[in-house]
Amino acid sequence: MKGAGPSFLASWNGTSVKLIWPIVFLGLSAPAFAAEESASQDGLAWLKKMASASRQLNYSGIFVYRHGTQTEASRIVHYVNAAGGVFEKLETLDGPAREVIRTNDQVTCYLPDSKTVIIEKRSARRFPALLPEQLTSGVADHYTVREAGRDRVAGFDCQVVVLEPKDKLRYGHQFCAEAGSGLPLRARTLNEKNEPLESFAFTEIKIGGGFNRDKVKSRYAAKSKDWKIDRSALPIAETPAETGWVLASQPAGFKKLTELKRSIAGRAAAVSHIVYSDGLAAISVFIEPLPKSRPAQSLSYQGAVNIYTRPIADYLVTVLGEAPAATVMQIANSLEFRGTAK
Amino acid sequence: MEKLSALMDGELDAHQARQELSRLKQDKELLHHWHTFHLIGDALRGERALSQEFNQRVTERLSGEPTVLAPRRSAVKRFTAYALSVAASLAAVALVGWVAFFNNPLTPQPEIAKAPATLTPAAAPSPQLASVPSDGKMNEYLIAHQEFSPSTAIQGLVPYIRSVSSAQPAKGR
Repeated sequence: MKGAGPSFLASWNGTSVKLIWPIVFLGLSAPAFAAEESASQDGLAWLKKMASASRQLNYSGIFVYRHGTQTEASRIVHYVNAAGGVFEKLETLDGPAREVIRTNDQVTCYLPDSKTVIIEKRSARRFPALLPEQLTSGVADHYTVREAGRDRVAGFDCQVVVLEPKDKLRYGHQFCAEAGSGLPLRARTLNEKNEPLESFAFTEIKIGGGFNRDKVKSRYAAKSKDWKIDRSALPIAETPAETGWVLASQPAGFKKLTELKRSIAGRAAAVSHIVYSDGLAAISVFIEPLPKSRPAQSLSYQGAVNIYTRPIADYLVTVLGEAPAATVMQIANSLEFRGTAK
Repeated sequence: MEKLSALMDGELDAHQARQELSRLKQDKELLHHWHTFHLIGDALRGERALSQEFNQRVTERLSGEPTVLAPRRSAVKRFTAYALSVAASLAAVALVGWVAFFNNPLTPQPEIAKAPATLTPAAAPSPQLASVPSDGKMNEYLIAHQEFSPSTAIQGLVPYIRSVSSAQPAKGR
């Protein structure tokens, strides 16, 4: 075409010619393609909206956590003060009393039954919470995202957003976001047969309202003074570090999010922690020195989270995340130590 | 051979299992194969530590079992020994492949890299690992994980309920 064409075409360089074909192609397939693309974009926009809403809004309500045949109700209060500080309190209403309190970057679990306090402190500067933009990058590559009509949850109209996995390495998700604010009112994780593995759903919620410090204080704040306190990441600061551990075969779409050495509540030695994520699901790898009890391999689950533990040489590896057991085990089984320092 | 493998997989009923165990007790060679099988299985799964305990437990159980004297059929025995040696050879081949791979992790060879995953289920006579509800021992790890999970970014503190779920007995360490 270039060689045979008149002289003015000679000024059309290769790039311009190449550009024509996608345009022609796009023209032919435009109606179907555009519709699919916009549904996916809308779905992703809802995902971002949900993340922003649950960070920025004040809300309080009761939600039900369903996993297997079990159902548990909890009360949750979330406040953001004028300075941008985040205060959150989760309190179980069924079974033994338990509380989780978040104050900015510190999460504290109060377990009155065992008189234990678990403190998990994050270094905010190094590890800011995932931003909505980071959250959605890569999601469309591994999930088919679409809006799926309206529903009603806890008396509010909400938009259903469905994320179908494109392969068997991940679970499906379904969210229902409050139509006005985007606050997620229901979240379900589905297995490959589209059956729910776990769900969180508000039964009652109040969106908005003023900040009230008292409502996010632990009722055990005073009582717990002489409880056993497990502090994590306090004696040894979280430090981004090369742990020396790598994956021989990384499950498609899971990228390394972070790698650090840290302390973990209840573990004497420093633990290597590596996190992989496909943008929606995360899988954590924990590597600690092999305890004297030399535990055998084991596989367990909590709702949609699968937990696999296996010894590798002188180490105990625990891999867990909201992904199918096969994915979690694949990560654990392809882990290799390539570092120099042992 | 079939029965031995079924015993390993926990597929025999109590009566059959007892029969098989007493057979193991009588036949040193068979017992040796049993140990080798477990060693290979353990090695394939990277858990050599398990087998010693396991061997000991089996040996203890065997010495505690009453001996059932039954006429041995030599033809059956020969077949079993043959079948076992074939199976052991296959497992050994898998083990060699596995060792070769893990000793050279720095040379990325995709064909070999896939080998452990495809060979393990066929060669390892291990029982399928059954998943059980979490007993709460991993709660500290669940809490540490939750912070980095996009589910926390989307839903805030709500998913933390997993880490303190009441299905798990509260652990006092």
